[in-house]
Amino acid sequence: MNALFGNPIGLQTLIKRELVRTFAIINQVIWPPVITTLLYVFVFGLALGSRIQNVQGVSYATFLIPGLIMLQVIDGTYSESSSSIFQGRFMNHIQELLIAPLSAVEMVLGYIIAGVLRALFIAALITVLGALLVHTIPLDWGLYLLTITLVAVLFSALGIIFGLLAEKFDHIAVLTTFLITPLVFVGGVFTSVQFLPPLVRAISLFNPMFHMIDAFRYSFTGHGDVPLATSLSVVSGLTVISVTIALIMTARGVKLRT
Amino acid sequence: MDAIAITGLVKRYGDFSAVDGLSLQVEEGAFFGLLGPNGAGKTTTINAIVGLAKISGGSIELFGHDVVSDWRAARTTVGLAPQEYNFDRYLSIRDILIFQAGYYGQSGPAVRKRADDLLERFNLTSKAKEVYTKLSGGMKRRLTLARALIHQPRLLILDEPTAGVDVELRLELWDFLRELNRGGMTIVLTTHYLEEAETLCNRIGIIEAGRLVALEETAALVEKQTQGDVLAVTLDAPVRALPASLQARGARFEPGSAVVELEGIAPAAIATALGEFERAGFTIVDVGFRRANLQDVFLELTRR
Repeated sequence: MNALFGNPIGLQTLIKRELVRTFAIINQVIWPPVITTLLYVFVFGLALGSRIQNVQGVSYATFLIPGLIMLQVIDGTYSESSSSIFQGRFMNHIQELLIAPLSAVEMVLGYIIAGVLRALFIAALITVLGALLVHTIPLDWGLYLLTITLVAVLFSALGIIFGLLAEKFDHIAVLTTFLITPLVFVGGVFTSVQFLPPLVRAISLFNPMFHMIDAFRYSFTGHGDVPLATSLSVVSGLTVISVTIALIMTARGVKLRT
Repeated sequence: MDAIAITGLVKRYGDFSAVDGLSLQVEEGAFFGLLGPNGAGKTTTINAIVGLAKISGGSIELFGHDVVSDWRAARTTVGLAPQEYNFDRYLSIRDILIFQAGYYGQSGPAVRKRADDLLERFNLTSKAKEVYTKLSGGMKRRLTLARALIHQPRLLILDEPTAGVDVELRLELWDFLRELNRGGMTIVLTTHYLEEAETLCNRIGIIEAGRLVALEETAALVEKQTQGDVLAVTLDAPVRALPASLQARGARFEPGSAVVELEGIAPAAIATALGEFERAGFTIVDVGFRRANLQDVFLELTRR
């Protein structure tokens, strides 16, 4: 155990360092998701949404809020953890961690826990917006916290993996541009898959983002397009795989130790 | 006890061996200089000691702790001041020290007090709340040293500690390093300033192509590897080539230099040697004698 968790102060320090970084670049990390969400709520929820009767038995604006939270949690968590790792490698200050008595588990946990805290903070801000603007709050806070945590762990770990693999900042954006953003947008942020043609609906079941959004929306509406157990199993499975890969890469020192 | 015990260290990058069977010991309390030409394997060896490079073969122990199997205990003993500045740009100068101590498992009022003392000692107190990009080159060099010391290591490793600093600061840093060493800290440094190694280090290891070519007490090394005093003949123009008669006497020159040196020449042979310069068509503008130094040893060993 000592080899894995022998330095709790080191772990706390890394988490604190990541949060210091977050608040040092608050205009890049915290405010953009809040402003973007406000715009989405205004344009889609309030302006266009008034013409849509209801989705899954709730108003369109209420349907929209959990999707928007998940969109920002996914995007923010991945980009923050990948850019922090990559910048550390690029500027070499990650060597401060590499020469210290910190295990790979502690390093990965540090980035992941900071990612979860950051995600919860962003989600809380947007949830408050949702409560104020469209009067919607989660029905199941336990599921709300569980889903955000699982998704934030998954995307923090993916951020570590791609932050390690990237040779330039451009490489980090590849996953966001070509995979994460398209899959999130077609994964049910703006509409229920029940509205899609049968073939597209069937394909959507293979989109992991659909399961994340569907499970999270369940915490607000009490309904989902697929059973909650299915969505949570998909998200948990992917999280375990992603964290395992991030741990193996860090323990082997991939692109960290020569 | 040895502060560092390296046994048969091998570090390969593909087919290239950056370190090739290196063995050396550094006693606790020593001030040790690790020298070698560029690409000899000095930084790779340091990286293997501190955990930045994965070892391909052999072993390294720090105060009896293996850096692979007992890495946590081994790393706690070392402070590294790298040549390149690698500070965290999101932290203030004071926080760079406090967070570094945190990574080593240390926190609380004692750490904050130590950080303030180090900032004071290195004249950085007025910059404590700034980020490192606001510091001058000399200040960054001092901060590198302060950060390496914040967790109170028993072994301090300095990679080119005075690169790019002015003479005044260099002398100041030398005094500080001597003080640390007198206090019992083991210090290992690599440097391109051979005068620095000769002045500070009581023991020197010279590596070339990843192998140890010399390991001695500094004074003994200079005495053993050189042949006495050096005759330095300054000509009126840079030397391109020397006649065979002077080459046979071991005369040497740096490319582009007008100074030719003959090591260990007998007093009786000086006049004849100077005559050979004249016969070869050179014009002598100055002749001097100096004591052989570490640079002569270095050139002798690394030119073989």
